[in-house]
Amino acid sequence: MRKMLFLATTILAAALSSAANAEQKEVTVWSWFVQSTMQKSIAAFEKAHPDIKVNYTYYNYSPEYITALKAAAASGSLPDVIGLQPGSLTQQYRENLEAVNERAAKQWGDKWAEKVFPVNRKQMLMGNPKGDENYYIIPQESQVLCIWYNRKIFEKLNLSPPKTYADLKAAAKALTDGGYIPMFQGAADGWQNENVFLMLANQFAPGITDKAQAGEAKWTAPELVAAMKAWKGLFDDGIFQQGALGAHAYPTGAQLFAQGKVGMMALGSWWMQESKFPPPLSEFVQNMDGFDFFYLPPVKDGNSASPPVGGIDIGYGLTKNGGKKPEAWTFLAELTNGVGLQEALNDLNDLPAFDGNAPKGDITDHVKDMSARFMADLPKAENQRFASPAVAEALDNALAGVAAGSIEPEAALATVQAATEKALAAK
Amino acid sequence: MTQLPGAETRPALFQCKMASIMSAEAMRAGAAVAAVKRRSASRASTLYLFALPATLLFVVFVAYPILWVAEQSLYAGKTDGGVVFAGLANYTTILSDPTFWIVVRNMALWGAITIPVQMLIGGLLAYFIERHTHALRGFFRTMFFLPVVTSVSVISLVWVQIYAPYYGIAQEYLKHIGIVMMTSPIGDPKTAIYALIVVNIWQWTGFSMLMYIAGIANLSSEVLDAARIDGARGWRLAVHVIVPMLAPATKSLLLLGVIGTLQTFPIVHLMTGGGPNRASEVFGTFIFKQSFVLGDTGTGAALSVIVLVVALALSLIQIAVLGARLSPAGREES
Repeated sequence: MRKMLFLATTILAAALSSAANAEQKEVTVWSWFVQSTMQKSIAAFEKAHPDIKVNYTYYNYSPEYITALKAAAASGSLPDVIGLQPGSLTQQYRENLEAVNERAAKQWGDKWAEKVFPVNRKQMLMGNPKGDENYYIIPQESQVLCIWYNRKIFEKLNLSPPKTYADLKAAAKALTDGGYIPMFQGAADGWQNENVFLMLANQFAPGITDKAQAGEAKWTAPELVAAMKAWKGLFDDGIFQQGALGAHAYPTGAQLFAQGKVGMMALGSWWMQESKFPPPLSEFVQNMDGFDFFYLPPVKDGNSASPPVGGIDIGYGLTKNGGKKPEAWTFLAELTNGVGLQEALNDLNDLPAFDGNAPKGDITDHVKDMSARFMADLPKAENQRFASPAVAEALDNALAGVAAGSIEPEAALATVQAATEKALAAK
Repeated sequence: MTQLPGAETRPALFQCKMASIMSAEAMRAGAAVAAVKRRSASRASTLYLFALPATLLFVVFVAYPILWVAEQSLYAGKTDGGVVFAGLANYTTILSDPTFWIVVRNMALWGAITIPVQMLIGGLLAYFIERHTHALRGFFRTMFFLPVVTSVSVISLVWVQIYAPYYGIAQEYLKHIGIVMMTSPIGDPKTAIYALIVVNIWQWTGFSMLMYIAGIANLSSEVLDAARIDGARGWRLAVHVIVPMLAPATKSLLLLGVIGTLQTFPIVHLMTGGGPNRASEVFGTFIFKQSFVLGDTGTGAALSVIVLVVALALSLIQIAVLGARLSPAGREES
């Protein structure tokens, strides 16, 4: 009798549970986005949409995330929503993604794209076949690249943010003499090298790298050769630390920078999130008290300081699987321009991709000021992304080769030109 | 019916009885043979059933992926996301890519340096631990084996810090003797591959040591005693008696070393990413970049097939030249 009672109770409980689950819809999401921040965004979303449950899977970007995406795409088992970078990553999965134009127009109005910062909008279409004006990625966050400096160390050494290349060299020397790493460059990472090169190139001719990757200018153009020589100069003139080519920006460089052992580092607006990480935090990172930023000063007489360079930090795509579930779009929309985004901004993860959003909550005036300066620069930012991974890869190799002294700037840029021509021909 | 010799001299009744007994015996014997045959067939099918799970696993997780990759290597991606039959074009593209030959050179260096050095240091460690330590034997075995079971991510992070000039761990010690590191060995295209080889040797020497320890533990004490009676001691005993008797362990390490070399990926990916400027690229990182970073699955698959063929050829050559006695205990393994 007891057994019968137990069985009946179990069946009833299972039936009730499955009935409850049937009412709650589920959305699956994969990304490399900071897990703690994503959990806050998901909690806010689920509070606003109690009938939808979000299952988030976090991956390290490389190699875990990109290999997981590849395997899932091959087997048709991609989740509903996937984290994407604009350009090459989005293009690799374009066939597995839904165009979101109509959904976005329905959600945010016909002129929704105008609310997205121009550089982001450009990147959203990057790499699309000619004539394809569909958006396959909705950006969540933007970034602006810059040179961060430790203002407490600068103050201690009577330094001010460099305005000229001579200032920069003098600051690097003073920092080195003071026992600090002058400017930490994780030159073993292609992305950080690309970022600094883009700052330099856009200083010589704004927008030239975009033209070069589109085939409208040559990578061997005098401005880009000059930028490549200036890049080599950053190593030779002691701006970067010794042995930079074997160093990684994360975690090594970021840790040293946060600990106050580094004077300057080329990062971006995302660095502000350090102040929101769990304690203990260093005196420099606490409320970002120790940090401020500047743009790379002119490396040649007649140049201006580097313009803001940036664009989409992370965006999300709706997969074909997710396209069958209205709740997947609901989540994507809230994550990129709704309650989910707000949580990410409050965590200072980065800048918004849609205009009209700003961080709220427990943020100091200093952080608010820096955030406002980034936001003011974002609309005029130059593009930092590449449409073709082969071109980015060729540039990474060229930058490393020139920095190591194993190839001359002109020859190195010729390899990038060759890669660009090949990529454009394949298109 | 079979007639027994001399049976014709016996009475007819007896003959008749004998005939019927013989007939029954023959039937029983026939039935027994049939039963044995049935049992034998049944046993064979049972044995095949035992092999079935392993065969299925092999087919699903080894044979099918190999065939799938081989098929992929004959196709090239199109810009619209589809694929087109490319024949051997992916192979010719790979073979004409200068990076491929950098990879081949790096792999040759990797194998030529890591395998003998690991075997030599591992063998020496095993000999000294087994012969000259007693109470602390377990401690030394564990300590030298520890890098093998340590996460590659941790090893990579630590070694990047060790190699870092100016603020690195090695520099902290070197500065006491007046040495200042000007560059990181992994940041210089000329030294990057050697710096990674050092890390690999540090990590995997403990495995060679363990294999030799197993080999030493299985050495015949009679042979060793006989050698001692014949006057072999110390270095002579080690070189002329113990080393030859450890040949199966050495052959195993050689085979595993070659396969391990071709499978190298995490240390290189995490420490240099194959750079600077592809100077430390290995097959693993090259395949990864082609397939996952550049999205060129065709050439990535072609590279994988090339690595598979090379691994297979090298393994077969080793087995043909050195024989198949591969276990540390010296048993024949087929």
